[in-house]
Amino acid sequence: MRAFEYVAARDAGQAVALLAEHGASVKILAGGTDLLVELKSASHAPRMIVDISRATDLKNIALTDEGLSIGALVTHTEIMDSQLIRETFPALADAAHTIGAVQTRNLGTLGGNLVTCVPSMDSGPTLIALEALVTIAGPEGRRQMPLTALFVGPRKTALKSTELLVEIIIPRRNLGKPAHFLKSGLRKGQALALVNVAASLWVDKKKNTFAEPRIALGAVAPVVMRATQAEAYLEGRAVTPEAMAEAGRIAAGEARPISDFRASAGYRRDLIAVLTKRALENAVLLARAKPEITTK
Amino acid sequence: MTQVTLIVNGDSRTASVPPEMTLLMLLREQFNLTGAKLGCDVGDCGACTVIVDGKPVNACLMLAVQADGRSVQTIEGLATQDRLHPIQKAFEDQASLQCGFCGPGVILSAKALLDKNPDPSTQEIRDALSGNLCRCTGYTKMIEAIQEAARVLRGESPGSK
Repeated sequence: MRAFEYVAARDAGQAVALLAEHGASVKILAGGTDLLVELKSASHAPRMIVDISRATDLKNIALTDEGLSIGALVTHTEIMDSQLIRETFPALADAAHTIGAVQTRNLGTLGGNLVTCVPSMDSGPTLIALEALVTIAGPEGRRQMPLTALFVGPRKTALKSTELLVEIIIPRRNLGKPAHFLKSGLRKGQALALVNVAASLWVDKKKNTFAEPRIALGAVAPVVMRATQAEAYLEGRAVTPEAMAEAGRIAAGEARPISDFRASAGYRRDLIAVLTKRALENAVLLARAKPEITTK
Repeated sequence: MTQVTLIVNGDSRTASVPPEMTLLMLLREQFNLTGAKLGCDVGDCGACTVIVDGKPVNACLMLAVQADGRSVQTIEGLATQDRLHPIQKAFEDQASLQCGFCGPGVILSAKALLDKNPDPSTQEIRDALSGNLCRCTGYTKMIEAIQEAARVLRGESPGSK
């Protein structure tokens, strides 16, 4: 690794102050599982690394007035181990479990996974299916945006060089919303997703119809995407296996997968159709298992 | 250069390190603890696995300065002068390693698992080893050894004490 200046920030405020002072010449170090790999192969080192890995104010998992708040520095292992997350959103814990391997999950953070912004990230689809918001801290204070707006392109986010992602929020109206995440990789461990899919939905108890279905797809477009046509097809429609299969086919048509050495675009489209259908079916099963909280 | 102090296998160790030095290089080059191996150097192979504050991590993906004040366990800390750790003993008895390069990482991943879960299922063992690549022995004998070590550590096997 090439030499750089190292500063450890004790909290988000100090990290933001350092970003305001040094801006684009700074790289933020959270879990390091992507950054260190990048630095080892980079021809130019950033001038300064600001290490936020000990910023305790970014490690909370809590229910707030806004919803479920997860600090940007919460690791994938901490998401898997959180009783609160397992109870409110087991799909988030399932998605965390598919990332890398134990060693990566012990260091890697939710915020890091999101700001690295690779199309195959495993944290993105479930959060997008639950319409997560992100809180961003900068020199002028804090702002919020939908997670979908954070993703601009492969490895490109809407963060300015003086801004820091501090929090991920699943809005209160979606607390308890049934959701399911599925990933297909070439192996179970240490594998990037060929396709990953998350679905969330309510089931209208009286009419047995879909309400507010949300489908998010990863690794099949420049950024994690919503399958809005498939969602529109399901909205208000009767819950049947045929409707879920058709939604899968529509989602496959909306995606823009590429062919690479892992899989062809055609294979990825087939996977989208199947995984979308299964994610919807599993979310419906969850909805049926807990009708008192999972229907509207 | 930054001064760091960490607990390594129970002993307090201090070193002066450049910011870009990884924990792996600190252990190997300054503390002469060469059990953790430099394999892929990008967090894929797990040959550099060490236990930091109870959790297995890839030492190649952590800066030495990030380990300041933390407790690090390496393979050198497992055996005593006259006795192997039960996991090491089981790996020896079951011939679970051939070339041995992945061994320190595999054994530390197994230790971190058994510290948390004394009676893991085969699937839980496989999950715990998914970040440790072995290219010669294969995993079956490792899984058998970890199951045997778990029995010994639970006091259920004649191998204990």
